[in-house]
Order: sequence, then C-alpha cells, then structure tokens
Amino acid sequence: MRVEMRDVLDALRAAILAGLAAALLVSVVAGALVFYSEARAVGDRSLAHIFPAPRAVYQSWQQHRARLLQEHIPETLWETVSGLAIAVLLGVSIAALMDFVPLLRWLLYPILVISQTVPVFAIAILLILLFGFGSGPKIAVVVLFCFFPVALSTFSGLQSADPELLALLRAMGASARQVWFKARLPAAMPSFFAGLRIAATYSVVGAIFGEYITAQRGLGVFLKRSYSSYRLDQAYLAILITAALSVLLVVLVNLVERLVLRWYYTARRSSWRGTGIY
Amino acid sequence: MNTSPPCLEVRHLSKTFHEGRRQVAALQDVSFAAYPGEFITIIGPSGSGKSTLFNIITGLVEPNSGEVLVRCGDERRKRGRVGYMPQRDLLLPWRTVLGNVILGPELDGRSKREARRRARELMPLFGLEGFEDAYPDALSGGMRQRAALLRTFLTEREILLLDEPFGALDALTRRELQRWLLGIWQRFRKTILFITHDVEEAIFLGDRVLVFSPRPGRVVMERRVPLARPRLPAQRLSNELLALEAELFAALGVAPGRE
Repeated sequence: MRVEMRDVLDALRAAILAGLAAALLVSVVAGALVFYSEARAVGDRSLAHIFPAPRAVYQSWQQHRARLLQEHIPETLWETVSGLAIAVLLGVSIAALMDFVPLLRWLLYPILVISQTVPVFAIAILLILLFGFGSGPKIAVVVLFCFFPVALSTFSGLQSADPELLALLRAMGASARQVWFKARLPAAMPSFFAGLRIAATYSVVGAIFGEYITAQRGLGVFLKRSYSSYRLDQAYLAILITAALSVLLVVLVNLVERLVLRWYYTARRSSWRGTGIY
Repeated sequence: MNTSPPCLEVRHLSKTFHEGRRQVAALQDVSFAAYPGEFITIIGPSGSGKSTLFNIITGLVEPNSGEVLVRCGDERRKRGRVGYMPQRDLLLPWRTVLGNVILGPELDGRSKREARRRARELMPLFGLEGFEDAYPDALSGGMRQRAALLRTFLTEREILLLDEPFGALDALTRRELQRWLLGIWQRFRKTILFITHDVEEAIFLGDRVLVFSPRPGRVVMERRVPLARPRLPAQRLSNELLALEAELFAALGVAPGRE
C-alpha cells in the first residue's frame, strides 16, 4: 500500500488537533477543580451561581428535559428551518431577478445594501412588537437575518459565470433560458453555498433573538427566563443547545453541498474529506 | 471540388468596433468561400480579426456590412448553424466528460439518450475511453481539447469553426493532435475553418491557406497546398512545402507595409 504525503499530513493534522483538544479539556477541568475547591474553602457559594458546575448544568437538563425536547427545541427548530427556507427562496429569486433584468439590478442592489446598514436588531424588535407572540414574527426575523447573505452571494455567483462560456452557448444556438439553467445557475452554486453556510449560522441566532424579545415557547424564552430567575445553570444549558443546533445545521449544509458540488470538491481538493466545519 | 456550390460563403464582410470614442476596424472587405469537405486554414498576426470573423459567422456579432451565407445548415436560424470551438476548451466544470460532449444535441432538444450512445461510441476515437465520468479538471490539456472537439463534432453541423484549438498545447502533443484531427476529418468529411498562428500547422492541415493582414483584417494571400491526402509527417519537410512556407511568411511579413 502506498502512503502518500497528503495522508501523512492529514494524520499529523488530526494528531495536532486531538492534542490541542485534550490539552484544553484537561486545563479546563483542572482549572475548574481548583476554582471550586478554593471557593468551597472560603465558603463563598455565589460563585457557583455564576460558574455553575457541569454537574449543575446536567441536572438542569434532567429537570427540564421533557419541556425542552417537547416544546422549546422543536419551536426554535421550526422557526429556524422555515425561516432559512424562506430566506433561501426569497434570496435566490431576488438574485435571479437582478441577474435577469438590468433595471431591477440597478434599482434593487442599492436598496439591498442600504437595508443592511440599518441594524437588523432594531427592525427585528419592531417586527416582534408589531406582530406579537406567535412563531410567524420570529420566522420573519430569521428571514431578515438570513436573506441578505443568500441573495448577495447568489447574485455575485450568477454574475461570475465565464462570459466566454456564455458566448459559446449562444453561438451553439442556446436560448436565454438554456444559457441560464445550463451555465449561469450551476456556476453560481459554490457561491450560493458559501452564502447559505453563513445564513445557516445566523438563522439559529435569529430565532433565539426573536424569542428573547417576547415569546411563549422556544430556547430564547427559556434563556430569558433563566437569566431573570438567576438560574445560570439553565442559561448555560440553553447556550449549549443553541450551539449544538447551529453546528448541526452547518454540518447539514456542508453535507448537502458536498453532494451537490461533487465536481467542485474533486477539482479543488483532490480527496473527499467528509463533512465537517471547514 | 469547385463543381459543387460552396458550403459557406463570406461576402465583403467589414466590422468596426467602438471602444469609447476610438474606432477599431477589425475586418475590412473579407470575402471567401468554403466548399463541402474542404479544410481551410487561416493565419494572421494577433489582432487581425480572425476571431471576429468567427464571431460573425456564428452569429454572435453583427457585421457593419457584408453577409455570411451558410448553405450547409439551417438557414432560418441566426445562431447555431455551425459548430464552433473557441481557443479555450470551455468545458463545463460541473459536468462529466460525457455530460459535456452531448451539450450540442441537448441544446438542440434532441434525445439525450441517443446522444450519449453516440458519444460513448466515439470516445475511443477521441482518446477519451474510460474518462466518460471524469470531471474536466482531472484531464490533461490534450484530453480537454479532444473532449472540446468531440463536443464540437457531436453538434452534427456540417461546418466546424476551430479557433486555434491547439494553441495552448506543447509542441509534441500538438503534432500528435494535428495528425489525429486529420484522421477524424477524413472520416467525417466536415467542412473546417481552422485559425492558427503557426504557418507550418496551417500548411500541414489545410487544403487552402488564407493569410490575414494585421488590423484591419483582410485576406492578403490565398494558396492551395500542393500535398496529397492523407498527409504524412515526412511531407512536412519537402522542398515544395518549404517554398510555400517561405511565401506565407513573406505575406505575413510584408502585410503591414501594404497599409
């Protein structure tokens, strides 16, 4: 069996990453142990509230597991995924329209950019206050967060198609429709996925933020209640779950990307490195 | 050969581009005809409007005056009447070799299955056997050019325009592909217009050679190549050809002085 330089480097990278992770874990655990034993020695229990022990976080998970799994997480996931889906549909459509119609490009592009200079948070709060408690306004907030990166990256992807290639297709007798579907759209895919990956990380944040302002269910409201009742162990739990959801979503996007853009990854990196957060 | 009507007729073509306030004359009164099954090579210095000529014949660019008559092709269409292979291979990176070469029939709305069957049949002849499912990035330069040529042949057009197809290849690959192209051409009997910078290539491949002047491009010389078919590599060195080569070089050299 031949061992290639690349495999050696891959193994080396894995070793270094594993070493770093282990070192981090050991120092955190050791640090925490020292910290708690010293806090206990002076009898100061308030620190345990600010820095809840991992065990306390785990206990709060056990305490709230049923409600989290049945109410909060599904609610947040629903808002995230449907918001992201709407943002993708909307973003791709707007990008396509701007690509097709020069007049719309001329009109919409500045509006798109200016819309991003207004703090998204300010608009989000307005939306929630206007439309109230349901999940609809939260989905709208997610759309607000995610729409822009999708639209912009898809648009620049569509514009990036090789003009000589487009000319070749026209010379071969292709209609405008054929040129778009056979050259422009596929050429935009790598760029679209770059935007989608950003949007995926924003989407969970958007949903949590929307719920945080006001809601009846969802991780955001769970987080807010935890803070107001000074239950930081619960807050840490909410943060952990949020992070896990984000990672899950990004990994999912990467998986789809690698399936759809097999050509891109076989070309750019000669081996398929599986899914991950690259 | 001149008994049958020409497949392609170019009549008094002129084209001027406007670059800002500057006017650039690319072509000036270019006329010639190509007869069925003929291999015409076109040489000329860079910027002599050769690619503009191709863009006009394919219908991408409108001439200021003159006309192009394509008799071997769908006369009702404006574009897509001829097969066209640009300088760069321009294979679609997201399609496999097989997916790339059937682009022509696909754009025509012909059966994809039939096109795939025919493409698979021709793969060995184009040296692409076993690479049907490879992406273009995995291919060598020579293979990419052959894939682009197969795509051009599979358009099933009678007239093929090849714009410096071997320009970017190394000398050895280039010679190999020249001989191979002649074999393909003899088998399919297409009418070919072939742009090149290389006088030797122009002679070795062509039945006739057209020499273009620098901008604005005009046909300053037209020579029939006195060589029997099929052509052999040894013929590259005959005295007759060397004389023709010298003549063509002279035409390329004196052309600027004739302004």
